[in-house]
Amino acid sequence: MRPILLSGHERALTQVKFSKEGDLLFSVSKDHIICAWYSANGERFGAYKGHQGALWTVDVDPTTTFLASGGADNTIRLWEVRTGRLLKTWEFTTSIKRVEFSEDGRQLLGVTEKRMNQLSTVIVYDIKQDVEAEQGDEPSLRIVVDELPKVTVAGFSYLNKYIITGHEDGSVSQYDAKSGEMLHNAFSHDDGMQVTDLQWSADRTYFITSSKDKTAKLHAADSLEVMKTYPTDTPLNSAAITPDPVQYVILGGGQAAMDVTTTSARQGKFEARFYHKIFEEEIGRVRGHFGPLNYVAVDPTGKCYASGGEDGYVRVHHFDESYYEFRYEVEREREQGIRF
Amino acid sequence: MPGRTDWADDDEPDLATSIPPPQVTKNKDGTETVITIFINEDGKRVKRTQRIKRTVIKKKENPRVAERRQWAKIGPEAGKPPGPRPDTTTLGENIIFRPVVGFKSGQQQEKNPEEDKKADALKKMQIKCRICQGDHFTTKCPFKDTMAPEGEAAGPPPDMDERMGGGGAEGGLGGGIGGSYVPPHMRKGAGASSGGERMGGKFERDDLATLRVTNVSEFAEENDLREIFERHGRVTRVFLAKDRDTGRAKGFAFVSYADRSDAARACEKVDGYGFGHLILRVEFAKKST
Repeated sequence: MRPILLSGHERALTQVKFSKEGDLLFSVSKDHIICAWYSANGERFGAYKGHQGALWTVDVDPTTTFLASGGADNTIRLWEVRTGRLLKTWEFTTSIKRVEFSEDGRQLLGVTEKRMNQLSTVIVYDIKQDVEAEQGDEPSLRIVVDELPKVTVAGFSYLNKYIITGHEDGSVSQYDAKSGEMLHNAFSHDDGMQVTDLQWSADRTYFITSSKDKTAKLHAADSLEVMKTYPTDTPLNSAAITPDPVQYVILGGGQAAMDVTTTSARQGKFEARFYHKIFEEEIGRVRGHFGPLNYVAVDPTGKCYASGGEDGYVRVHHFDESYYEFRYEVEREREQGIRF
Repeated sequence: MPGRTDWADDDEPDLATSIPPPQVTKNKDGTETVITIFINEDGKRVKRTQRIKRTVIKKKENPRVAERRQWAKIGPEAGKPPGPRPDTTTLGENIIFRPVVGFKSGQQQEKNPEEDKKADALKKMQIKCRICQGDHFTTKCPFKDTMAPEGEAAGPPPDMDERMGGGGAEGGLGGGIGGSYVPPHMRKGAGASSGGERMGGKFERDDLATLRVTNVSEFAEENDLREIFERHGRVTRVFLAKDRDTGRAKGFAFVSYADRSDAARACEKVDGYGFGHLILRVEFAKKST
C-alpha cells in the first residue's frame, strides 16, 4: 500500500477522526487549525480557523453536519462541516482535552483539564440538530471529578447509557450518562501511567484504552472488565479497533516527543502496530512516521486507516488484499466448517 | 471535400491533409478495433490501430458521500480546482504490509543494524590510489604507466589490505605484486573472511534453509504455497516453477526459510500434506553445483 501523506499542519498532530462513512478525515494539530480531507485521494476539503491555541481534540457527528473541536484556548467550538461556519463557542476556565459526540449525535461531551485549582469536569451538551438553531449555553450534565485524578479521555457508550472516562493514574471509570453518578472504577493500567486514548468498537459495547504503561486493553463497557491485553515495548498514545470483517487492533505510540532527538527513527519505534484482537498477538507493523504516533484512527467502513504523528504529517493508508485475507489457522478452519 | 470535381485534382498535398474518419470495427471477442489516421506534429500521416475493450464497472456509493464530494471547498482551499494539491498531499513510498502469525519485532530490527554496518563499511572504505595516493582506483591512475606503486616490494600496506578484503570485487584489482593477476582463491585473506568467501557462504546458508517441494498441483499459485509454509516460520522466498507458455505450475517449487529450524519443522509437517488433489512431497533442497 502506498500511504497518502497529508501535510496541511505545521505542528504535531493531536487527533484525527473519520466521518461515519469514512470519506472525510478531520485532523487537528497544535498549530490551531482543523483540516478536513477526502480520505480517498488525500485532497484537502478545507480548514476551519478560529481557535487561538493548540488543539487537542476534534470529533464529527454521525451525519457529518457538525464538527466539534477543543483545545488549549479553553473553548469548545462547534462548526458546520460543509461551510466552515463557526456555530457556537463554549468557554471554560481550563483547556479541553477531549470532545466526543454520542452515537446518535444528539449529545456532545467535553473534558476539561484539571489545572489551577480547577477540578476535571466532564460536560455534556444537547446538540440541536439544525445548523441554524442557536445552541444552548448551559450543559445538560456536568460531572465534577473530585475523588479521582484528572480525566484524560472520555466517551459515550452504546445507547448513551454510560460515560466512560480514562484517568491520569491509569484507571478507567464508568458514569451514568443520565444522572452523572459514578458506577464503577477499575484500575486496569499500571498505577500512575496515564490513559492516553479511548476508542470504541463499532457497536460501542466495548472499547480499547491505550496507556503510557506500554499496553492497550480491551474493556467491556458494562462491567469495565479487561477482556484482552496487548503488550508492546513502547509507551502508547493511541489505539483503534478495526471494523468487520477483520479482527485487528491498531496501536500507535513511540517514546515521548522530548526524547526523540536523542535516538534514531528506528529505535524510536514510531510504527503503527497491528495486533490480532482475539489472539492478542502482534501480526505486523507499518512504519513511516519520523516521530511518535499521536493518534491512529480507522475508517468505520474498514477501507483505510490514518495516523497522525508528532512529525506533523497525517498518513492515510488504504489497505490492500493481504490485510483482508490474513487468517489464523483456526479461523480458516472455522470458515471452512461453516461452508461445508 | 467541397470543390473537388475531378480525381486528377487529388494531388499529393491534398492527400496528406485529407483525413478519413476513424474506422470502427467490432470484433468477435467483444472488443473494438479503431483505426484512426491523423497527422502528427511533424506533419506526417500516422495510422493508429487501437483495440479497445469496454467494460462497465458498477460502483455503489453512499449518496451522502457522493454529495459531500460535490461540496465547494472552504477556507484556504476555497475556489481551488478539484483534485489533490501537491502542496498538501503527496504519495509516500510503497509499504508492504503482510500480516503474519507470530510477528516478531526483532525480524526487522535484526536486519537493520546489518544494513547500517554495511553502509558504515562502505563509508570507511575510501578509494585510494597506490601510485599517487589520489582518490581513484590504482588502475585508473594517470601515472599508471610511468610510476611503480608505492612500497611495491612490501606489497600493499596492511590497512589497505583489510579494506580490500572488505571491498570484495576490488580485492583482485591490484592485490598481487606488480599488478599481475592473482586468482581469487590465492588472494590475501581469501582463506579467512574475504568478500568472495562470504558470497559463497551466503548461498550455502540459503540452501540450508531451502525446501524442495514436489508433486505440486499444476493449478497452484505461489501465494497458496506461501500460506501453507508461512505457518511454520518466516518464509523468505517462494519459487514455483511455471511453464512459460501455459503459465501453469510445473509441479515443483522451492521455499526458503529465514531459519533452518523452521525449515526442518516445515519439512516434517508439510511432507505428505494434501494440497489440491495431490500429496505434497517436501525435502531439503540439494545444494546446487
